[in-house]
Amino acid sequence: MNQWITLLNKEFLEMARNYKWIWVPLTFILLGVMDPLTTYYMPQIIDSVGGLPEGAVIDIPEPSAKEVFIMSLGEYQTIGILIIVLSMMGTIAGERKSGVAQLILVKPVSYISYITSKWTAALTLVVISLFLGFLASWYYTGVLFEFIPFGSFMAAFGLYALWIALVLTLVVFTSATLKHPGAAGMVTLVTVFVFNMLGSYFSHLLEWSPTKLLPYASEMLVSDKWPEHAWPATGMASILIILVLALTVIIFKRKELAD
Amino acid sequence: MEIFETVNWSLLAPILVIQAILLIVALVDLIKIEKTNGPKWIWAIVILLINIIGPILYFVVGRRNH
Amino acid sequence: MALVRVENLVKSFKDLKVIKGLNFELEPGKCIALIGANGAGKTTTLKMLSGLLEPTHGSIHFEGENKDADHRRLIGYLPQHPVFYEWMTAREFLEYAGKLSGLNSREAKERSNELLELVGIDDAKNRRIGKFSGGMKQRLGIAQAIIHRPKLIMLDEPVSALDPFGRREVLELLEKLKQEATVLFSTHILNDAEEVCESILFLHDGEIIESGTMDQFREKYQQSKIDLVFQGRANDYLKSLNNDPKVISIKIEGNKASVFTSDIEEVKSTILNKAVKENWPLFKYEISSISLEDVFMKVVQK
Repeated sequence: MNQWITLLNKEFLEMARNYKWIWVPLTFILLGVMDPLTTYYMPQIIDSVGGLPEGAVIDIPEPSAKEVFIMSLGEYQTIGILIIVLSMMGTIAGERKSGVAQLILVKPVSYISYITSKWTAALTLVVISLFLGFLASWYYTGVLFEFIPFGSFMAAFGLYALWIALVLTLVVFTSATLKHPGAAGMVTLVTVFVFNMLGSYFSHLLEWSPTKLLPYASEMLVSDKWPEHAWPATGMASILIILVLALTVIIFKRKELAD
Repeated sequence: MEIFETVNWSLLAPILVIQAILLIVALVDLIKIEKTNGPKWIWAIVILLINIIGPILYFVVGRRNH
Repeated sequence: MALVRVENLVKSFKDLKVIKGLNFELEPGKCIALIGANGAGKTTTLKMLSGLLEPTHGSIHFEGENKDADHRRLIGYLPQHPVFYEWMTAREFLEYAGKLSGLNSREAKERSNELLELVGIDDAKNRRIGKFSGGMKQRLGIAQAIIHRPKLIMLDEPVSALDPFGRREVLELLEKLKQEATVLFSTHILNDAEEVCESILFLHDGEIIESGTMDQFREKYQQSKIDLVFQGRANDYLKSLNNDPKVISIKIEGNKASVFTSDIEEVKSTILNKAVKENWPLFKYEISSISLEDVFMKVVQK
């Protein structure tokens, strides 16, 4: 346990030294407020770039607060995931590639602690950042459009955060099993993309699929009701997270760390 | 310009502050760091000239860890 | 009882057998040099001993330890090119390494201070490792390897990359380490081994071709050479030397001859005495010793 805390503290210290504690939350906040602001000020923005050509009619129906907030979810689903994957893909692969892992793993360090401490640190940063981003989006949407019930907001956050946790677990997995950080990032992004494709293609069959967590979060916001299949999906996502983490440790143990 | 009169400054000000923090932190880091992916001066330009996205781009891609 | 007993250690990478069955023991409290040319398998051997590489066959057994037990707490390891977290300071890294090895915060702090002083980077302890020179990193590497007082310290080519000053300092450091633990270090420079170690393991092409104490090795291989040039056929004068037990071999080419010996003092006086007594027409008389380095080359090329 002491060793796990030591490893975790090192991760947190590193995130402070490379400013991740500053830029990741701030970026996520920007992602959150982007859509409420641009949507609200769209007419002025169009005006300021010269307005519409003569005869064109502005016929953009004012979107609802819920629609705007769901647009923000879309930003995290694309840019947010991209940032998470790119900034975390080196967490283990980078240490092996540089060679510093040789110094650490030759100490009596438990492989489980090594992997889970990194996972915990990354998850802490990402979940806090995501929450701040969500909160900012919720507030801006509320001020500019209409406040969404906080309960629905929190439920949607919980559902989506679980999906992000699964993506993050995948990054840790690829980072532990592939030697090159870039390869780890690429494989994670492709995997997430393919699963999302499959998930939406077979969406009527895969009600419990973790890829449905984003649609369920949106549904939660629209209807203010906990979606029917949200529990199986969260259960599935939690099981997958644990399985992937376990697999990460097993493979990492066998993997030869020297070269 | 008209747009400056109609916007809600209490909503826009935090964005400007965040933007400034990202810019300053990125620049401070760039000055202190030994090496970046690609030439340092290019990153200086990216950070300074590309609004908001520049500093984030630097942290995600330009910064070399370890 | 040996501290470590290695039996039939084999390592293959895909189809390539890099280590072809090593058997050796490391005696406690000794300094053992693992000598071999580049590519002989030194690093692979050390990595297997440190647990970073899994042997394909064979066993590594630590005294008093279970066969499958995690013996990492017993060893300290310094890779050939140590890499650190560049954003940490030297003191932070040492304390981190200490805590990972099972020391509590206070112990880690005390031991770090002690080692920073021992390896001579005390004045740079609060500087980021990213700003360290190669020699400083090497010393920090030694400090992190011994922070938990391991029984076996393994260093991979600890001096090859250093300048003469750094080399000297690290060798002196190794001398100190010997008093606390068994030291196993690899090198391709025999002189370095000679300076601090009493035993050697000679690795060539994945096999141990020679092992034993430094003295044994020296006795077996170290030779001196006496070059002689005569007016006339050398063979006529040197025949009697063939029976001398101290003479290893004589090479004769016309009026030139080279006498190889392991005991230069005695053979030198034998030849000089004969030359005076028998009034040899000598043109040239020259003694040269063959360095261990030459011997090393000879053994490797065998």
